[in-house]
Amino acid sequence: MSSTTTATASKMWGGGKSPFNVEYGKLMMWYFLMSDAFTFGAFLISYGTIRFSTNGWPDPNEVFRSYPFASEGVHAPLVFVSIMTFILIISSVTMVLAVKAGHEMDKKGVVRNLILTILGGLAFLSCQAWEWNHLFHEGAWWGRNPFINHDGTASSTNFTNFFFTITGFHGFHVFSGVIINIVMLTMTLMDKFEKRGHYLMIEKAGLYWHFVDLVWVFVFTCFYLI
Amino acid sequence: MAHSEEHSGGGTKEILRVTLILTVLTIIELALGFWMMGMPLESTSRLATKITIIVLMLAKAFYIVGYFMHLKHEIRNMIMTIVVPLALFIWFITAFLYDGNSFRHLRNTYDPHFKEQATIKVEKKEGEHAAEGKEARPAEEKGAAVEQPKH
Amino acid sequence: MSNEAVVHAHPGLAHEVHGDHHEHHHHETFITKYVFSQDHKMIAKQFLITGMVWAVLGGLMSVLFRLQLGYPDATFPWLEDILGKWAKGGRISDSAYYALVTTHGTVLVFFVLTAGLSGTFANFLIPLQVGARDMASPFMNMLSYWFFFIASVVMLSSLFVETGPFSGGWTAYPPLSALGSASPGSKTGMDLWLIAMALFVVSSLLGGLNYIATILNMRTKGMSMTRLPLTIWALFFTAVLGVLSFPVLLSGFILLIFDRNFGTSFYLSDIFVSGVGALPNEGGSAILYQHLFWFLGHPEVYIILLPAMGMVSEILSINSRKPIFGYMAMVGSLFAIAILAFLVWAHHMFVTGLNPFLGSVFVLLTLLIAVPSAIKVFNWLTTLWRGNIRFTPGMMFAIGFVSLFISGGLTGIWLGNSALDIHLHDTYFVIAHFHIVMGVASMFGMFAGVYHWYPKMYGRYLNNTLGYIHFWVTIAGAYMIFWPMHYQGLAGMPRRYYDYSNWESFKQFVELNRFISTVAMIVFAVQILFLFNFFYSIFKGRKVTSQNPWGATTLEWTAPIRPGHGNWTGEIPEVHRWAYDYGKDGKDFIPQTTPVGSDESEHH
Repeated sequence: MSSTTTATASKMWGGGKSPFNVEYGKLMMWYFLMSDAFTFGAFLISYGTIRFSTNGWPDPNEVFRSYPFASEGVHAPLVFVSIMTFILIISSVTMVLAVKAGHEMDKKGVVRNLILTILGGLAFLSCQAWEWNHLFHEGAWWGRNPFINHDGTASSTNFTNFFFTITGFHGFHVFSGVIINIVMLTMTLMDKFEKRGHYLMIEKAGLYWHFVDLVWVFVFTCFYLI
Repeated sequence: MAHSEEHSGGGTKEILRVTLILTVLTIIELALGFWMMGMPLESTSRLATKITIIVLMLAKAFYIVGYFMHLKHEIRNMIMTIVVPLALFIWFITAFLYDGNSFRHLRNTYDPHFKEQATIKVEKKEGEHAAEGKEARPAEEKGAAVEQPKH
Repeated sequence: MSNEAVVHAHPGLAHEVHGDHHEHHHHETFITKYVFSQDHKMIAKQFLITGMVWAVLGGLMSVLFRLQLGYPDATFPWLEDILGKWAKGGRISDSAYYALVTTHGTVLVFFVLTAGLSGTFANFLIPLQVGARDMASPFMNMLSYWFFFIASVVMLSSLFVETGPFSGGWTAYPPLSALGSASPGSKTGMDLWLIAMALFVVSSLLGGLNYIATILNMRTKGMSMTRLPLTIWALFFTAVLGVLSFPVLLSGFILLIFDRNFGTSFYLSDIFVSGVGALPNEGGSAILYQHLFWFLGHPEVYIILLPAMGMVSEILSINSRKPIFGYMAMVGSLFAIAILAFLVWAHHMFVTGLNPFLGSVFVLLTLLIAVPSAIKVFNWLTTLWRGNIRFTPGMMFAIGFVSLFISGGLTGIWLGNSALDIHLHDTYFVIAHFHIVMGVASMFGMFAGVYHWYPKMYGRYLNNTLGYIHFWVTIAGAYMIFWPMHYQGLAGMPRRYYDYSNWESFKQFVELNRFISTVAMIVFAVQILFLFNFFYSIFKGRKVTSQNPWGATTLEWTAPIRPGHGNWTGEIPEVHRWAYDYGKDGKDFIPQTTPVGSDESEHH
């Protein structure tokens, strides 16, 4: 794999140092995320497989059409989920800023942006909780599907099964991301990173957080759009 | 320490630019989503829109991984170790979906006893009520004689 | 370990600062040294010994069900004494038989040959052979073992629940695995099985990430990737396979857990259970589970086999006193096998209702594996060719591995054809194929590794005489057990049946089955002899007196005979050449640490 033809390449791969010039923790985080991508990938591909092997499927615009504080018969597809998507994108941006502040050894910047990221994560989780609760009260749950297919026929429960399983698994990742960020925030406030001389831990937490955002891009597309 | 200098790029300007791109891409996706609602089912235009949305999704993924996760600024070899294994998804997706589709086709064509919920019409506005009796219902139906032909 | 983190944050500095690392560990307690150890060598031994316990249990299970197959009409009252209600009247009950078969498969594939083999040697060899003080993250490495340990405890506990362990086959296909009403073993036993396997996935993930990071980041100065011994390359690809394929299994299991407990129908459709009636589940696909399972399941075969291949390459080269033939071809074929491993999973599913056209694509991809496999085989043979062979027990097992890999691999070409598979699927032919090529061959790789690196592990040798007895009985036994199964399979004898005496067409195999069972028991007894040798030699074995007893070039033999935590007492040695300079320029061998001389013939 590593053709050591060019001089620079052989210097990087010659041993005694990291060939990618990154510390082992970051490398492990990247490969962990690769692994996790296969977990989510397997979920979404299973969802696709079942959808392809089923004759009818509900119209997401008929299912996800409400938002909080709206009156009963409201019909506003995609509105609420777009808000959720933007919350997650913005929290990803604040996370980037936190990592950047970390590189500049700017403790204040790290703290501020981490707090914003945590708030973004909590906001997303609240939205998800509301949506789940709403769907539950409409009669949807694992093994229960009140929605009907595009063509007006009864729908397989796998629509809700996959929806709750995959968004639940993603929500679990968001939740653990929030926990990780809270730990990072505490460590920053305790000056752990200042003493260590670098904020590389924040970078790794950041990678995880962006991955959560990345997964949402796929979940959002697969469940709400197509 | 030398670390921060090694990572070129990733300035505030770049972050703002990428944020903007992601926002625009999402808005286009949403617009397409709204537009798609008016299209007839199983139509080419609907399929084309779906494919466009998937392409946009991949573009968003590229920007998140490349810039937010900083992969674009890593050493080329490291980028390869991440990107190349992802190519496994191509066959992973192709084979799974192809077989899923084939499974539906085989059941519809060759299994005279196969009967799916999708053959049962539900009164449109009754959606909510139908839900309650749901759990028990398919069982009863399967017990009943199956005569509805497919297609 | 904040000190560690800083050290690793400066890759260039890593090794210098590591120099005083091992001195922290002089005042170790029993707990930190033997139980919650972070020393990769101790963790390797923990993996090995836990794997051995499992191997004994798994092997014993096979002896028990072979007893049933060999003597279907006989009764053994002592069986009731040890198995209780599972062997009423001295005859193993049918549900106990299925439980034994299932647990034998699960335990041997995952707990022995994955954790026990790759866990042991990845831990032991990676830091020693790449020239590192320890793994990238010793703490995660320790967690990896303890997750495996907890998984073991959970799996073990499933043997003792009232309804028995899971009994639907090691592949756990739904609906048997998804419905508690399907069989007694599908109740609590299956829940425990799933928990154990989930923990196992976590363990292998923690381990795998560590192996990859260590091999990439922690190589000593001069140890470029092309100077790595083939063991390390093999373990590297093994770790990559594990990291990318185990999560898919985890996803499949999570969906299965939902099917079991939360009324979903991911894998269930159109099911009628007698006594229960028609189930409401609809729209799922049992084939989906099989896809997800085999997306791991096939790479898993190579997770098991690649470490054995790597160690065998190394041992063959050392004991032939010749460089490995075609080093780059060996690396390339490992790489090709690793890639193909991900592309061929559905060849386990030709007769499930898989689309036949898709199946034909899988046939093509499957048969491609023959190419890298053949490259490896011919390279091993040419390494042996005109070598100055030393028949140490480790070498014997390495040669045995090559023999088994050839005879088991050739039947793979048969089974890879979807048309032939219609006849051969789920017969004893399949059992013979995968036991030889993956089971026994990998076991041989493991034995080769244990005999070869035992001096490094414990500073003593294993007893040679016992080693030769172990080898000859095991290889002869392996062929006597599995070779006849090919004929049974060709005759259509299906696997997993409890009793064949009801079929006129299988009556001809009564004597053969009895023969196989007898040999199986003898081979099992010889493995106990090996275990005796292993534990006896830890305390009483002949002591190793020289640092490099095999005359090998690799770095682990430059470390002290019984290395402490940190492996080398002084600086970590620098590497100047590849790992296979045997018989070069009239010298028997040149260690990797020797600088290239000016008068040396062309350097690799």
